[in-house]
Amino acid sequence: MSEMAGKLFSWINDRLPIVNTFERHLSKHPVPSKVNFWYLFGALAAVTLIIQIVTGIWLIMPYSNTEEQAFSSVEYIMRDVDYGWVIRYMHTTGASLFFAVVYLHMFRGLLYGSYQKPKELVWIFGCTIYLAMMAEGFLGYVLPYGQMSYWGAQVIISLFGAIPYIGESLELWVRGDYYISGITVSRFFALHVVALPLVLIALVFLHLVALHEVGAGNPEGVDIEKYLDDDGVPLDSVPFFPYKVLNALVAIGVFGIVFSIIMFFFPEGGGYFIEMANFQEANPLVTPDHIAPVWYYAPFYTMLRAVPDPLGGLIVMASAVAIFFIVPWLDRSKVASIRYKGMYSKIALTLFGVSFLTLGYLGTVGVTEVRKTMSVICTIIYFAYFLLMPIYTKYEKTKEVPERL
Amino acid sequence: MILQSSNSSYLIRILTFLIFIFCLNSLYAAEGGPCKDYGECDKFEYSLNDMESLQRGAATYINYCYGCHSLQYSRWGRVANDLQIPEEIFFENLVFDKSIKPGDLMTGAMSEDSVNWFGVAPPDLTLVSRYKGDDWIYSYLRAYYEDASKQYGVNNLVYPGTAMPNVLLSLQGNQRLVCKNIPVIAKNGGEKRDEFGNTITKEKCGFLEVEEGTGVLSKEEFDTLIYDLTNFLVYVGEPIKATRERIGWYVVFYFLIFTALASLLYREYHKDYK
Repeated sequence: MSEMAGKLFSWINDRLPIVNTFERHLSKHPVPSKVNFWYLFGALAAVTLIIQIVTGIWLIMPYSNTEEQAFSSVEYIMRDVDYGWVIRYMHTTGASLFFAVVYLHMFRGLLYGSYQKPKELVWIFGCTIYLAMMAEGFLGYVLPYGQMSYWGAQVIISLFGAIPYIGESLELWVRGDYYISGITVSRFFALHVVALPLVLIALVFLHLVALHEVGAGNPEGVDIEKYLDDDGVPLDSVPFFPYKVLNALVAIGVFGIVFSIIMFFFPEGGGYFIEMANFQEANPLVTPDHIAPVWYYAPFYTMLRAVPDPLGGLIVMASAVAIFFIVPWLDRSKVASIRYKGMYSKIALTLFGVSFLTLGYLGTVGVTEVRKTMSVICTIIYFAYFLLMPIYTKYEKTKEVPERL
Repeated sequence: MILQSSNSSYLIRILTFLIFIFCLNSLYAAEGGPCKDYGECDKFEYSLNDMESLQRGAATYINYCYGCHSLQYSRWGRVANDLQIPEEIFFENLVFDKSIKPGDLMTGAMSEDSVNWFGVAPPDLTLVSRYKGDDWIYSYLRAYYEDASKQYGVNNLVYPGTAMPNVLLSLQGNQRLVCKNIPVIAKNGGEKRDEFGNTITKEKCGFLEVEEGTGVLSKEEFDTLIYDLTNFLVYVGEPIKATRERIGWYVVFYFLIFTALASLLYREYHKDYK
């Protein structure tokens, strides 16, 4: 019997590189032996992506993508479908935590210079994933067709209208109707469940292939490829399986605790994960008192509001995301990790973090004069972090990076 | 070298935190609360395992509210089942239309005349506890007062100009806005007194007070009635809520064990390359 199985396996393996791929990307794939908790968010992002795909498939089954039934089909899932509430809350909690994990993953990148040569493409694929996620999250947010879905979509789609010349026709083309309607919902449904997931999966694949080609980084910014053993394996590395898999397993456990506390006890996340107004069906005749985006778009929404002109706001908001793509060429530092960079980089990254969090807070509350001033200041700090990077990274005093991990 | 770097990073972390707190503080500005003229909403704490409260709430809802406000996503049989009311008793006493089956949605409230009567269609209330919040409902239903200038002779502090008449007036009695003499508070936090030791008072208006003897229920009884009704609306807003919170403990416990085992295993393997 086992001989048969062995024969079958080698028959397949001769035609499909199973053993090779497994060894190259898992069992023998060398990863730096010393990393810290910041390096676990990539694995968690993958876990969350899988959660979103699996729960998403199950949500599609009872969901109805029509104007009349979108909202009520979500309530049907919450009440009449067996464990429908588990699936739905996993998807909504998963969406928020996906962004949380990806934000931390991106911050890790800035902290330890994970974009520096030769990891530029890994970084760019990552930024593209983030862009696709933003679109995916927005499209998904419209599907339950609550008040905030409707009015949020109204605000975002009208942004296209701010583009000169083609704006108005583009807006109409995206919406598919003169106002947001069942037509918009059903096209957003198609994009949310088919088009963007395909793009996301392809990008994640490329992100990983590129990463495995150049090798993972470490918090010291040490190039582990310099010192190899006789087999050409870096001395400061361990095989991915089982060492790093076990490491990730602990992270998944902690993530599971956080996830289930939110999902079972605070699924609305205090109105930040599922907004209260979204429990009211979309009503084109009644504007909610206060249109606020979900927390993960809040920083960019604040930037949009900080600029009085709609086109200017759109440009600022788009640049805020686009600027991430060129970070590999903005950083002129000789060292990768913040541990060996100088004081300027540390101060810049701190200010950037603070301004990003403040922008996030500002996006979820109403506008006052003080807040408006603050949002302008924070937007300036946000961009200054990137635009001044070539200067402060070049002229600051860095520390000596050790040879080994 | 390493010590130095960790020192400065601590400093940066503390600084970050302080700056952030400072920013949030300076940005925080009081916004008008959801309970409007009522001030702070009264705090409501649901008790979804108190079946008697939920049963009383369901009875009050069906007798006083369901005539106008449907619960279109909720099913009759599910309510009977979740609230542990035997189906025969439930259908005999609380379901007036005998053609209704347990699997039917609770959509049967009147609709066509309501726009003519009230100017707006009474909203469906299945999800009211989720978009308005339980505190709001609990405060709103107790904040009606006599106001002759309004169509139905009543107004509401939580929802000024509300289109809904006070359906529970006969139970609560006639509630009015009154002025009261309240003690003036001195700077030290105590009551201000004159030279003879009498408390100095000042007239303040806007207090809700029920005219004695006008309602069937006492203030406490009425508050309990509203508590039960709100509790029922919290249940209807998310029928699975009590179960969800119960299962949650098991899942969290599972992940705690999982994490403990995973870290033990990780530590064992970690010895290989330490």
